[in-house]
Amino acid sequence: MSKEKLTNVVYYPYRVISVLLLVILFFPGLNVARISGLINRSTSLLTTGFSYGNLISNFGRAFKKGWVMESTMHLLNVSSLLICIGIIACAVGACLSLGNGKCRFTGNLLSTVGSIVAAFSMWGIWSAYFQVAATTKPSKVEPMFQNFFYIMLAMLVVMVVVSVAECFLVGVPAKDEKFEMETKFRLFLMFLPFILLAFVFCYLPLWGWRYAFFDYKSGDTLSMDSFVGFKWFAQLVRNKSTTRDIINVMKNTLAMSGLGIATSWMPMAFAIFLSEIKNSKFRRFVQTFTTIPNFISWVLVFAIAFCIFSTDGFISSLMINLGVWSEGKNFLMSGSHTWIKMLLWGLWKGLGWSAIIYIAGISGIDQQLYEAATVDGAGRFQKMWHVTVPGLMPTFYVLLLMAVAGILSNGMDQYLVFENSSNTNQIMVLDLYVYKMGIVKGAIPLSTVVGMLKSVISVTLLYVANTISKMIRGETIV
Amino acid sequence: MSISETARMEAKAEREYEKKHKSQMRLKPSDIVFNIINYTVFAAFTIVCIFPFYYLFINTISDNELVRKGLINFVPRGIHFENYIRLLQVNDLFGSFGITFARTVLGTLLMVLASAFVGYLVTQQDMWGRSFWYRFLVITMYFNAGIIPWYLNMAMLGLTNTFWAYIIPGIVAPYNIILVKTYIESAIPGELQESASLDGASHLKIFWTIILPLSKPILATIAIFGAVGHWNSFQDSLILMQSAPKLYTLQHRLYIYLNTTSNLSALMSAGSTSGISKSVLDSALNGKVIKYTIAMVTIIPILLVYPFMQRYFEKGIMIGAVKG
Repeated sequence: MSKEKLTNVVYYPYRVISVLLLVILFFPGLNVARISGLINRSTSLLTTGFSYGNLISNFGRAFKKGWVMESTMHLLNVSSLLICIGIIACAVGACLSLGNGKCRFTGNLLSTVGSIVAAFSMWGIWSAYFQVAATTKPSKVEPMFQNFFYIMLAMLVVMVVVSVAECFLVGVPAKDEKFEMETKFRLFLMFLPFILLAFVFCYLPLWGWRYAFFDYKSGDTLSMDSFVGFKWFAQLVRNKSTTRDIINVMKNTLAMSGLGIATSWMPMAFAIFLSEIKNSKFRRFVQTFTTIPNFISWVLVFAIAFCIFSTDGFISSLMINLGVWSEGKNFLMSGSHTWIKMLLWGLWKGLGWSAIIYIAGISGIDQQLYEAATVDGAGRFQKMWHVTVPGLMPTFYVLLLMAVAGILSNGMDQYLVFENSSNTNQIMVLDLYVYKMGIVKGAIPLSTVVGMLKSVISVTLLYVANTISKMIRGETIV
Repeated sequence: MSISETARMEAKAEREYEKKHKSQMRLKPSDIVFNIINYTVFAAFTIVCIFPFYYLFINTISDNELVRKGLINFVPRGIHFENYIRLLQVNDLFGSFGITFARTVLGTLLMVLASAFVGYLVTQQDMWGRSFWYRFLVITMYFNAGIIPWYLNMAMLGLTNTFWAYIIPGIVAPYNIILVKTYIESAIPGELQESASLDGASHLKIFWTIILPLSKPILATIAIFGAVGHWNSFQDSLILMQSAPKLYTLQHRLYIYLNTTSNLSALMSAGSTSGISKSVLDSALNGKVIKYTIAMVTIIPILLVYPFMQRYFEKGIMIGAVKG
């Protein structure tokens, strides 16, 4: 095997292990520095290294009573920090391995030093563990040894070996060589941080779906003992009260989404009739002010609702002043017509805004079509119906299909702020239900199951909508 | 379709409107009826949209005693601005204002820079695995794991109850990346980049000196959407900051005030734990006015920037539509 080929082969484990080590830094479950039960369960190795305050947040009493020495925790903190820095150096080395001889050489040096430092720092964690284990109060301090320690140590040792091997394989570059890397890899490396961010915040949560198969309460650790298979899925159909809740929630969700879809033509009508207004100043005025509500949050919409519809709000005080009512009414505390009210609030907030896209669409319709229609003797409404509406239909279809695909996702803000004891049965939509059950009541597995089913159904619906669009219009919507 | 093209088309339509308008000086009776109805309906809806803001405002500046009696319906009376000054005494409000302001500025800045940079990178055909990685980003718009796994993930990363939970997850915004990419492809001539790179400019330099200045219109658009989103954010504060009340956003604070102070007597007995200091209550202010004033303070920044930003709002939705 030629030297160059060998170099490239050895670089594969080099890159894979660097990436794995880097990812491990972010996983609290794989935190080898969690040597005591007092260390927060959600502390990753990265946090252990970079945030001493977070690390010792529960140690106040242990320090005071002398169960754990403060120097132990300092040792742990510094060791973790060095491991983190070492691993980051390895990752940088792996990035540089995509470049020319000089890049590779520098990267190899970095990763050699980094992996040796990290491997030696593992000793710091090792000895910190034995200091913690020697505590006088094991029941409180809960010393624990992470078995993952050995795996991580093995990975670091492999990393040291591979790095040193690469140092010899690549060798020292010529003196006048410059740092160079092919354009395609340079661009990729610039993109890499954003890929990692997207992975951590969009893909990694999918890993949380495993909670659906465990008996889990907030703060527990997952172990195979608590694996329950499809128990929570079965509970959705077997447990009477859960089933009743789900049916009610689905009824509300579909009803409110359905009302939204049934009124989805309104922004189009709004735009068409607005364009019939010849006075451009008035048109501008209407457009400006009907768009404002879209930019305030649902909490503020509720504040608005509160100032208009509560017991001492606008309607009540006006009616009392006029002598129609003897005392104020609180419209917000009533359970009647909840679906319609929510629809109206949605329209109040969104109608003007949703119309903008159609207004833009109308200005894009060929004026000759109108002129031709006028010559043919078409009246105002005929022109609207036979020229404007067909011109806007493509946009309407896309938005309609998107709305159908999102039928289960009403969002939760609106319903959360308007919810109260008297309308809770009518207002509880799927998103709000999952929040209440998971975050407020702490039934994490069950709410994960519901959320999971919702996600799967939504993606399926989107796929179906996309396929339909492709079949009918020959264009995809996503 | 680029923005300038759209604007041109709008202007053209406007001119033709005017022309048509002049040629039809005489209106038929049916047109008059139609116009009356049309104008009335739009005027009515517009009033429904803005009256609540006006009502809220006049109630915060009118005499508190008249407000308490419900006598301020259309016209402010006994104008004073003490309620706004008294807000300084409301516990935690100032902190929340600061937190929200900080996240709006920092979060928007990072998001815009990241969107611009990533949007530029994905237009570079030579990138290794370009279409795969672009899809990898874009596909995240169409699925999400759900709110509970999201929460557990944030907890696992140790971001709960930290300020960074507001900032870091928002940096990569796929939709905005698409907008920037579309804009760069349609509005910035490729020759410009080519000639710069022939002159030896690096990608970073091209991005900084050519792409960034030339894509200002689209960056302004996403900046405004981003800033409004940050200002209005409520859910992340509600779910992620459960044991860090100091980090609550303004909207979350307002939500708490709206709920805890729903009647004055409850507030009185609860004392300062409800978040509103005693001195405010002792000054015979009723809970209603405090709530109105806090709401007004939360709305004002949006109303202030709105007129300047309106054209960007509209551009934003239209570029999105073109992509659709």
